[in-house]
Amino acid sequence: MILGPSDVLDTVVAAETPEGILLELRPAGLTARFYAFGLDWTIRLMIIYAAAMVTTVIGGIGVAFWLVLVFGLEWLYPIAFELSPSGATPGKRVFGLRVVMDNGLPVTAAASVARNLLRVADFLPFGYGFAIVSMLLRRDCKRLGDIAAATIVLHQPRATSRMPLHTVVPVSPARPLAPEDQAAIIALAARAPGLTAGRLDELAALAAAASGDVGRSGPAVTRRVLGVAEWLLGRR
Amino acid sequence: MTPLGFEQMYQKEWAELEGLLDHVLGRKTGDSAHRVEMSGARLAALYRRACEHLALARGRSYPSYIIDRLERMTADAHQLIYHRREFGVARVRHMMAVEFPSAVRAQWRYVAVAAAAFLLPTVLIAFLVYWRPELILSVVNSETAASFEDMYSPVVDSIGRTRAATTDWIMFGFYIRNNVSVAFQCFAGGLFAGVGTLFFLAYNGAFSGALAGYLTERGLSPTFYQFVATHSAFELTAIVLSGAAGLRIGHAMLAPGRLTRLQSLVDATRESAILLYGLTAMLVIAAAIEAFWSSATWLPPAAKYVVAAACWIAVPGYFAFQGRRRAG
Repeated sequence: MILGPSDVLDTVVAAETPEGILLELRPAGLTARFYAFGLDWTIRLMIIYAAAMVTTVIGGIGVAFWLVLVFGLEWLYPIAFELSPSGATPGKRVFGLRVVMDNGLPVTAAASVARNLLRVADFLPFGYGFAIVSMLLRRDCKRLGDIAAATIVLHQPRATSRMPLHTVVPVSPARPLAPEDQAAIIALAARAPGLTAGRLDELAALAAAASGDVGRSGPAVTRRVLGVAEWLLGRR
Repeated sequence: MTPLGFEQMYQKEWAELEGLLDHVLGRKTGDSAHRVEMSGARLAALYRRACEHLALARGRSYPSYIIDRLERMTADAHQLIYHRREFGVARVRHMMAVEFPSAVRAQWRYVAVAAAAFLLPTVLIAFLVYWRPELILSVVNSETAASFEDMYSPVVDSIGRTRAATTDWIMFGFYIRNNVSVAFQCFAGGLFAGVGTLFFLAYNGAFSGALAGYLTERGLSPTFYQFVATHSAFELTAIVLSGAAGLRIGHAMLAPGRLTRLQSLVDATRESAILLYGLTAMLVIAAAIEAFWSSATWLPPAAKYVVAAACWIAVPGYFAFQGRRRAG
């Protein structure tokens, strides 16, 4: 059995490309988006405050400029940044988020305008109430504006470093291993550096059948299981 | 084939694709001295290869670092290859000359309903308040009512200006923010099956009606009507259009036809974007007229009424006739 993205116990949304592969999109949840929103809000407030200090000195035309600025920051700030190459407002960029279309493509102008104007509906009844309820209920964490505009806010994929190779002797498996068993053992080896020695031993004991050590556990068994992982990776 | 063998076999292609992507996306690469030869065909070819490799790697349950790497490069390349550019000067011109008026004509049913939802309360409340002026106090408090009288009294040096605002520019900033907020509310209310749109349209209509009825009864109609006549051609039309867009998405949710409710909503929202661009431009025009032309006291009222008549002919004419031939 091959695990598709929908079978994984995770909030992954799949988008199919014309080439027939599934892109895995990882929607950003309420917390990450709340922080990003808070940061954007603070940035805008600081700009408005700084501008107010300058424009009150100028008076007349300055106040008018300030009013237009407030208007622009309110409605155009998110749209302008979402349509930039990064696809994210500064707040979203800091928290590694990005706005894309449902199919994984960069957000279009029409969608960005729609999702940001529909903020008004998300804000109701107060304090982004509908947005919060919608994001908590949906697996893809969309607010109403995202639903209507067919957009989604994602975690930018972070570069995963190459898997470390363990300095153990490769061990050929004691019996033929199904693909998902192979994947599990390799995944264990990839996670090994982040686990405590005791926990690693416990987990390796579960896979001890692969190295022909059924019922035994301990550092020696762990080394042999990691050896199986090395063998599966291709070190012979 | 073992994962390491797989990686080794295609390592060069992947590195080339990643180099191209870093170059195009303007990301810093480790070896900046190494210049990349950019070629679209090569990028597309490498992208398709990477897609095959990703499918293979997933099918064979290769380690996650290989799959992650392939996912990252295919996702980046996919964004680059299928990216749609929507804007340019030609597109904006085409939008103004053809798409916007055609879209309004295509949505005429929603425009009619939105206009009715806005105008019926306006007229009704206007006559009601004209007949019983004390009813204005059920809409606003007495201080606000008094400030309305101030704003439209014949002795002010700029009509419609609050006492705090010292120049027309300030009122321009104020009008833009206010009118755009009203229009966007009318649109966004559509997400609640159109009920929000109807509410905001009727509410704003009733408020305008109350104001008009009250000021007329107080004998301030000369200043009030010469003030509102011109910009209302743009402002009221824009608000009705935003209501029409809101009703459209509300109706799409209620009666999706053969689509799923969600797909119907998404399609309706995408198609109403053109209305949103157009009506936002109209609101900016309206705010400029309102702040600088409508409020001017040095202009003879006759001149304002002539221009107002021209605007009221031009705006409906634009939506009725503009771009008919080219839209086909």
